[in-house]
Formats: sequence, structure tokens, C-alpha cells
Amino acid sequence: MQSKLSDIELIKLSLKGNQSAYADLVRLHQRFVFTLAMRFTKSREDAEEVAQDCFVKAFRSLESFKQESKFSTWLYSIVYTTAMTSLRKKRLDTSSIDDEETYIQIENVSSGYDTDNIENKSRSFYLNQAIEQLTPDDATIITLFYKGEQSLEEIAQALGIEANSVKVKLFRARQRLKERLEHNLKNEVKELI
Amino acid sequence: MNTMEEKLWNYIDGTCTPVEQDAIARLIEQDEVYAKKYQELLALNQELAAIELDEPPMAFTYNVMEAIRAENAMQPLKTAIDKRIILGISIFFVFTILALLVFSFANINISDIHVSTADIKLPANVKLPSTNSLFNGPFLKWFLIFDVVLALFLTDAYLRRKKTAKQV
Repeated sequence: MQSKLSDIELIKLSLKGNQSAYADLVRLHQRFVFTLAMRFTKSREDAEEVAQDCFVKAFRSLESFKQESKFSTWLYSIVYTTAMTSLRKKRLDTSSIDDEETYIQIENVSSGYDTDNIENKSRSFYLNQAIEQLTPDDATIITLFYKGEQSLEEIAQALGIEANSVKVKLFRARQRLKERLEHNLKNEVKELI
Repeated sequence: MNTMEEKLWNYIDGTCTPVEQDAIARLIEQDEVYAKKYQELLALNQELAAIELDEPPMAFTYNVMEAIRAENAMQPLKTAIDKRIILGISIFFVFTILALLVFSFANINISDIHVSTADIKLPANVKLPSTNSLFNGPFLKWFLIFDVVLALFLTDAYLRRKKTAKQV
């Protein structure tokens, strides 16, 4: 049964040693954390590992959560740093993420779609496909803004950058997403957007 | 200077000032290019807001809680024990010892005790062993060698532990 308690109430219970309260907290945020992890790792297995690691780290440092920000903002900052560390471990550091070479690799992975079958596929499929082809930074900003219920200031806090930079990054990410969509759908994009 | 798209995104996101908002709203009403672009970006915005999140595996929560339980189980006993319990036990023993001492001293009648060192004598047939041989000759040498080896062994173990702790 899904808990009706707020994040803060669940955190207080967890700190008192109630592990089922923390399990409820995990259930509340797992989909979003997993999606964010997917934006970085591009694989379900790796994303599961990263997401699991994030929740364990969050549990370990739950006492240090000062409640000055939303729990989700605090959790997403853990996701961001954990995912970045995981990427670095796999020798795909942030600078190489933006490389043209990496970008082309990602593009090639999913460029073999049959254009005749386009009409049969849902709109969200193409959008998700385009998001997957973006760099992790672009995909993360878009996901945080649209699905994380985070303001520009909260995203800035989670990513450790200025709110103005987030605004610029979001604008560029959406531009690149539009280009990806146009590239993937060619003429069909006009019907989609 | 902001491009048309940038202005429209700011308008859609609601991140521009009221004055800018009015100006962009007028542009959308009057300019066909602006109106078309606005509709295009608005549709994309709605699509993005409607995208589905990925679903983690069914056992995800269970796996997280298992990982936490495993980590707690691996925690050394020293850090797992509440320090207040240790303090409580210490206070109990200190008070018990103090109470016993106070009780003992309170029951001793010092004036009844008569001790004279002159009265204590060893029986004539008891001979104490000679300790001179212990501090001379091979016994002392072997004792010192053993001490040096033990000291080296303990130092080595200490340094190894320190090195391992640094690596972790």
C-alpha cells in the first residue's frame, strides 16, 4: 500500500529507525531517480545500479539533510554526483560526453528505425528516443525541469550551478532536442509538434 | 539580445518579467511568424510535460532495502553500540566500587589494628630462590631478543592496519 505521509514525515520516521518508512520514500522517488540514472548510463542494468547506490547513499546521510530544500532536490543532487562518478569510472568523463564522437556513437545506436513504421509508433516514443540521443547533461536538465517538478533555482542547487546557467542550458537542450526530433522524424515532425 | 525562440520559451516557462510578457503576448497576436513558432514550441512543451518516466525493476525497493540491511550488518560492533549504554555501564560500576569502598572504610575500626613489623618473621626452613642468575647470562639475552622481535611484529601490524585504512 502506498504511503500517504509526506517526505519529511517519512524522513523523521526513517531517522527513528523505521526502515519501512524509508522503503516508502524509495517507492515514492524510485521512478524519477531511475529515469535520471538512465539519462546518464543509457542502460537499464547500469541505471539500476546507480539508482540503488543513490538511495543507499541518501539513507547513509539522511541525518545531514537539513530540510532547507525539498528532499527531491537533495536526492537529485546525489543522483547527479553518483551518475557522474559512475560515468567517470567508465572513462566517459564530462568533457568526452560533449564530444562529437560520443554523440555520433549514440546517434548510430538508434538510427536504424524504419520510417514507414513511424505512424504506428507513439509520440512519446519518438520524444524519449530523441532525449536518449542527447548528451546526459541536456537530457538531465530536460528531465529535471519537466518531470522532477523542480524550479530553475532548485535544478541549479541540484547540479551545483547558477540558476541563469540552468536557463541557458535548458534553452540549448530544448533546441538540440528539437533538432534531434526533426532529424529522426524528418517530415513527420511537423505533424508531431 | 534574445532570439525569437528564447523569448517564446521564457514566455512559456513564465520566467520573463510582466512587461516582457505583455510585449511577447502582443507579438504573438500581431505577428504571424511569432504565432506559428509559439504554437510549435507550446506543443513541444506539452509533449515534454507528458513523457512517461522509466519504470525500475519490480524488486528495486526490496534490493535497496537489502543493500541497506547488508551495510548495517557489516558495520563494526564498535560503531553500532550506542555510546550512552557504555557510559551507563561505566557509571554503574564506578558507583558500585565507590559504595563498597565507603561501606568498607566506614566499618573499619582503625584503633583496633596493631601491626608491628618486628613480629613478622619467615620460618627458618623457607629459602627464597636466588634471583641473581635471572639478570645475568643467556636468560636475559633471550628475553631481550624476544622483546625486540615482538616489538617489531606489533609495529609491522600497526603500520599495515594504518595503510589499509588510508586506502579505504
